Amino acid sequence: MLLRLMPLEGYFNNYEKLTPTQIKVGLAKLWLDRPMAVQLGHFWQDTLRGELGVSNKYRVNYPIGKIIASKAPLSIQIGLMAVTLAFLLGMPLGILMARSARGHSRLKIWDRFGTVVVVVIQAVPASVYYLFIQIYGTELLGKFFPLPTLFARDNPLTWILPVFSLSLSTMAWSAMWIRRYMADESTKDYVLLARAKGVPAAAISRRHIFRNAFVPLVQSVPTTILLTLMGSLYVESRFSIPGMGGLLVDVIKRQDNTMVQALVLVYSGISIVGLLLGDVAMALLDPRVRFAGKGDAR
Amino acid sequence: MAVDTDRDGRGAILSVRSLNVDFTLRGARHRVLRDVSLDVRRGENLAIVGESGSGKSVFCKSLMGLLDANGRVESGEILYEGADLATLTEKEWLKIRGKEIAIVMQDPMTSLNPLIPIGRQITEALRLHRGLKGKAAREAAMGYLRDVGIAQPELRFKQYPHEFSGGMRQRAVIAIAIACRPKILICDEPTTAIDVTIQAQILDLLLSLQQKYQLTTIYITHDLGVVARVADRVAVMYAGDFVEIGTTEEIFYDPRHPYVWALLSSMPQLAKKGENLYSIEGSPPDLSSPLAGDAFAPRNRYALKIDFVRRPPLFSLTETHQARSWLLDPRAPKHERPETKGGGAG
Repeated sequence: MLLRLMPLEGYFNNYEKLTPTQIKVGLAKLWLDRPMAVQLGHFWQDTLRGELGVSNKYRVNYPIGKIIASKAPLSIQIGLMAVTLAFLLGMPLGILMARSARGHSRLKIWDRFGTVVVVVIQAVPASVYYLFIQIYGTELLGKFFPLPTLFARDNPLTWILPVFSLSLSTMAWSAMWIRRYMADESTKDYVLLARAKGVPAAAISRRHIFRNAFVPLVQSVPTTILLTLMGSLYVESRFSIPGMGGLLVDVIKRQDNTMVQALVLVYSGISIVGLLLGDVAMALLDPRVRFAGKGDAR
Repeated sequence: MAVDTDRDGRGAILSVRSLNVDFTLRGARHRVLRDVSLDVRRGENLAIVGESGSGKSVFCKSLMGLLDANGRVESGEILYEGADLATLTEKEWLKIRGKEIAIVMQDPMTSLNPLIPIGRQITEALRLHRGLKGKAAREAAMGYLRDVGIAQPELRFKQYPHEFSGGMRQRAVIAIAIACRPKILICDEPTTAIDVTIQAQILDLLLSLQQKYQLTTIYITHDLGVVARVADRVAVMYAGDFVEIGTTEEIFYDPRHPYVWALLSSMPQLAKKGENLYSIEGSPPDLSSPLAGDAFAPRNRYALKIDFVRRPPLFSLTETHQARSWLLDPRAPKHERPETKGGGAG
């Protein structure tokens, strides 16, 4: 709606050179000469048919579906790798922190170390540490093997830094919450009972504490994964990756209303599906959460 | 309940000797168990009684090596089957816990893992200590579920804790505890968190299991009704020390320590209608500084001067009855004992 308040000139690439008739035809093509209600109805009809329409300015008359299809796979690939890496690093770090936090003071160094890592990642703005990673990653590591600054799809080496950069915040997030929930769970009675059964500490961590600590986190995992589709503005622009990252900002700036509509629609759809999947995952993991209507809920 | 103490046939299965346990809290050391000694006899039902914070739970946790991270056994011995448990490493404890000594904890609502079916929580112990796997483990676990009075074990085996009621959960916890055929079963306030109507059932169950599996059970409780129902012997704890030890009859009908007098007087069952319920004045001592004399002295209206200065020795009254009070010294002045008789033992 707000975008509709922008001047008409914005809808055209070469407004100054057009005749009034051409402008009229152009506006009619976009249904902009109809009343608001009709426009909305038209939008709903198209959406229900799965039709996202064509781009108006970004690539004139090119179907938006195709634009997304050409950019999304790369973002998703990088994003999925980053999320995987984040969980692979973050979970063990969180578990290590939780286990050392209640152990010997000698072990607590790991908890301190992890806390420092997490706090630094959370506190320093992403754009700053991305920059550092790009500069020092290429310079220092470059002495041993060359890591290019810019991204090239065919060169696997160029994938390393962007994926690593992108994974950091999720890694810190997962480490922090896993540690927190595991520390919570480890004081519970059933953990004491498991110890009293003679279960070794490592098995208690794995079988009893971790699973319980993971329940509150699992809800947000699908959303995290699905939102990789959106790409990352910072990482993608810094390493010049032709992904989804800057797309939304770009089309808003260029007043490409059909693109904005389509993207916002897709992203909100993803968020909703992500939340739904999160709830499903939670129900799978925790027997206390049951789908309603099955009749066996007590 | 009839009290049976045939002293000769039962050697001590567990001997605690001069046990001192310290906790560190915000840099300050607190001596929670002070020079505690106790023999637990094979096959008996021993009750450890004391108010909150007296150290009875800490005593039992130290028997299983389950003290919290800030607590540690400072000195003393815990002799079990020729080994000193106080010196065990964490790895060695794994062979004792569950297998030799098991525990039933207070709150069945929180002592089961909510994400694991009941059956698997029992077989976990079976696998660790008896090497049972798959079908054999399942059969054995169902046997124990039947033992603790859970109907339809096939169905219950697969259910999760939230599908059990409180009493059923406590039964499941008991099944876990006995699954590895321990010799000693510690029941840490096993009925405190349970519906009153179920409490008696749980106690009866524990007694019948004790017979069936020849367990030695240690009850921790502050409920003297529970003591009267289940215990052969009672040890009364105050501020980290046993002040009086005796058979249930001796403690209820012939208590000697002023704290035990006070404790028995404050039982609601004994109070007369219309009278205020007796309560012990003052509060338990601060454990951060070393205690001199009898810890109960400041709250004791029978306290002698020496009670504030020197710790009383353990006076033996009979072969089974000991109390730690200067009043029992032959030099002590005559004193009138309050009316505590008939304390619920029946």
